[in-house]
Amino acid sequence: MPDTGGGRSYAWWHETVIAVLLVMVLQFAGWLVPGFLKLQSQLLLSRQLWEFAILALGMTLIIITGGIDLSVGSTMGLSAVVFGGVHSSSGSLMAASLACLATGLCCGAVNGALVSRLRLHPLIVTLATFAAYRGIAEGWSQGHSYSRFGDAFSDLARGSWLGVPLPGAMFVLMATGFAVFLSKTPYGRFLYAIGHNERAAKFSGISVNRIRFWLYTTSGLLAGLASLIYVARFDTAQADVGKGFELDVITAVVLGGTSIYGGRGTIPGTMLGLLLIHETRLLVSRYWGSDELRSIVIGCLLIVAVLACQLVSRKRRS
Amino acid sequence: MSNSQTLTVDHDSRPVCFSTRFFRLIRQREAGLLLLISLTSVVVGIHDVRFFSVDVWRDILVRCAPTAIVACGVMLVVVTGEIDISVGSLMALLAAVMGRMLSEQELDISCWIGIPVTLGLGTLIGVFTGSLVSMGRVPSIIVTLGLLTALRGLTTLMMGGKNIDRLPEGLTQVAKQGFLGVPISILAAAGVIGLTSILIHHIPLGRRLYALGSSAESARMAGLSEVRLKLFAFGYTGFLTALATIVDVPRLPKIESGIGSEFELLVVTCVVVGGVAISGGQGRLIGVLLAVVLMTMIRPALTFMDIGEAGEKWTRAIQGMFILLAVVSDSLFSWRQRHSGKVHAA
Repeated sequence: MPDTGGGRSYAWWHETVIAVLLVMVLQFAGWLVPGFLKLQSQLLLSRQLWEFAILALGMTLIIITGGIDLSVGSTMGLSAVVFGGVHSSSGSLMAASLACLATGLCCGAVNGALVSRLRLHPLIVTLATFAAYRGIAEGWSQGHSYSRFGDAFSDLARGSWLGVPLPGAMFVLMATGFAVFLSKTPYGRFLYAIGHNERAAKFSGISVNRIRFWLYTTSGLLAGLASLIYVARFDTAQADVGKGFELDVITAVVLGGTSIYGGRGTIPGTMLGLLLIHETRLLVSRYWGSDELRSIVIGCLLIVAVLACQLVSRKRRS
Repeated sequence: MSNSQTLTVDHDSRPVCFSTRFFRLIRQREAGLLLLISLTSVVVGIHDVRFFSVDVWRDILVRCAPTAIVACGVMLVVVTGEIDISVGSLMALLAAVMGRMLSEQELDISCWIGIPVTLGLGTLIGVFTGSLVSMGRVPSIIVTLGLLTALRGLTTLMMGGKNIDRLPEGLTQVAKQGFLGVPISILAAAGVIGLTSILIHHIPLGRRLYALGSSAESARMAGLSEVRLKLFAFGYTGFLTALATIVDVPRLPKIESGIGSEFELLVVTCVVVGGVAISGGQGRLIGVLLAVVLMTMIRPALTFMDIGEAGEKWTRAIQGMFILLAVVSDSLFSWRQRHSGKVHAA
C-alpha cells in the first residue's frame, strides 16, 4: 500500500488514473485494430516486455528508497559479453549462464558498496558505472558478437508453458514475491521509511546501509537475468545489449506511480505502468507503423500522466 | 562538496604538517581533476611527445567546446536543485530544424533568419521545460526524461530516414576555419564561459540561483521567485544547447538523427564530476570546465597510446573509472578529514 498522506484519504489514486488510461488505450486499440485484444496475439507480442519488466521490479524498490540505478542497461551489456566469452571458451551453457548472473550480481554489489559504504549519491555512482560497465563490455568484446548457443537455450525465452511464455511465467512469480515482500514484510516497509526520511529511519534502528547495499545488488542480479533472457531471445550476445533500457525502465516505474523522491510506489502500479507503455507501443506501431511516433507518444504520456497526477493530488490536498 | 572557507578558518591557527596540507589541497575537486589531467597528459606525452603539440590540443579544445557550452547551462540548472537530461535530444532536434531550414536541398533560407530561429526555438523549449518544472511541479528528471524520448522521436520523424547535407558553404567554412585562426566553437565557448562566470559572480541573478538551490524555503521567504529563476535556468540551457548546435554541427559532413545521443549523460557527468552538488546550491564553474577537458581528452589520448583500434573501445571504461576516481577520492578524503578532526579534538 502506498503512502496514505492524509489519514483515511484514498491512497490508490495514481494507480487508478493509470488503470483508467490503460483501459481507454485498450478500448481504443480494439476499436482501431481488429483482433488487437485477442489473448493469443497479446501473449505472442509480449515477448519484448519481459526483460523490461524484470528490471522494473528492482528499479521500483530502489526508487521507493529515494535512489536510482542508471547502470542496469550497461550491466546487461557486460553480463551478455561475459556470457558470450565464457560460452565460446568453455562451451558450457550452464557455466556461461552462471557467469552471466554472477557478473550482474557483482556489478550490482559494486554499486551497492559505493552507495552505502562511501555515502555517494546513487545518481553519481550509477552514472559512473553506466559508463564503466558499458566501456568494459565494449573494450573486452572489441565489437565482436557471439551467437549460436543452440535451440535448447533459445527455448528458454521463446518457449511457453500452458500458453504463457516462460519468461512471463517467471516474471509473474517474481512480481508476486516482490509485492508480498514490499507490502507484508518488515523489510519491505523499511524501504518506504527510508524513502520518506532516511535520517528518521536510521535513528529508529533500521540498518539503512545494509538494505541499500542489498537493493543495488538485487538490481544487478535482475539485470544479469534480463540479459540472459535477452541473449536467449535473439541468440546473440554483444556489448550493446540493453542500450537505453535504463531510461525506459525508469519511465515505466515512474508512470506506475512511484515517486521519484522516494517513499511511495507499489509493484501493481509498476505493472500497470509497464502494461500501459507496452500496449501504447503495440498500438502505435501496429496502427501507424511508425517507431518514431511511438517514442513521441511515450514521452508525452510520461509528462502528461505525472502532470495530471500532480494536479489531482494538489486539488485533493487543498 | 568543498567547504574551503570554514576549513581554513578552522585550521589556520594551528600549525599543520605537510601531508595534511597536501590532503587539504587535493580535497578541492579542482586540484584532483587537474592532477588527473596532468597525469594523463604526462603518461601519454612520455609515450609520444607529439601529444603536446598545439594542433592536438586545439583539436581537444574543439571537441570540448559544445560540452563546455551546454555544461554552463546545465550547471546552473543543477545549482537550483533540478536536473536536465534532455539536452542530447534537444541538440538533435535543433540540428534537424536548422538543417531543414538552411540546407540548399531543402528550404534554403538565409542564415541570418535560420540561426536566430534556431536559437529562439532552443530557448523556447527550455522555457517550456522550466514551466512544467516550476509551475506544473513535475520533477525535473521526469520532464526531461519524457522530453529526451519525445524529442528524439520528433527528430527522427522530421528527418524521415534521410540525412541532411549541403549546409550553406559560408556556415561550414566559418565552422571549420574559424575567425582569425581560432575555431568558432572555441570562441563561442569562451564567450559563454565568460558570460556565465560574470553571471555567477557579479550579478544578483546568479547568486539568487545559488540561494534557491541551497534552501528553497529561505529563498522564498527572502522574496525570490522560484518560478522565474527556474524558467531562467532552463531557458538559458535551451539557448546554450542551440548555440552549441550552431557552432558544432556544421563541422560534421552531414546531419543524421543520431546526433547528440548520450550527450545529456556526458554533460551531467561533467557537471557532477566538476563538483557541483546534485542537491543544489554548490559548485564552481572552473571545476566543471576541468571535468569537461578530462572527459574529452581520453579518446584523443588513447589514439596516441599506439594500441590501435583496440584502444578506442576502452574509452568509456576509462571515462567511468575517472568519474569514480574523482568522486570516490573526494569522499575518502573528506572521511579522512573527519577522522583527523576527531583526533585533533581528542
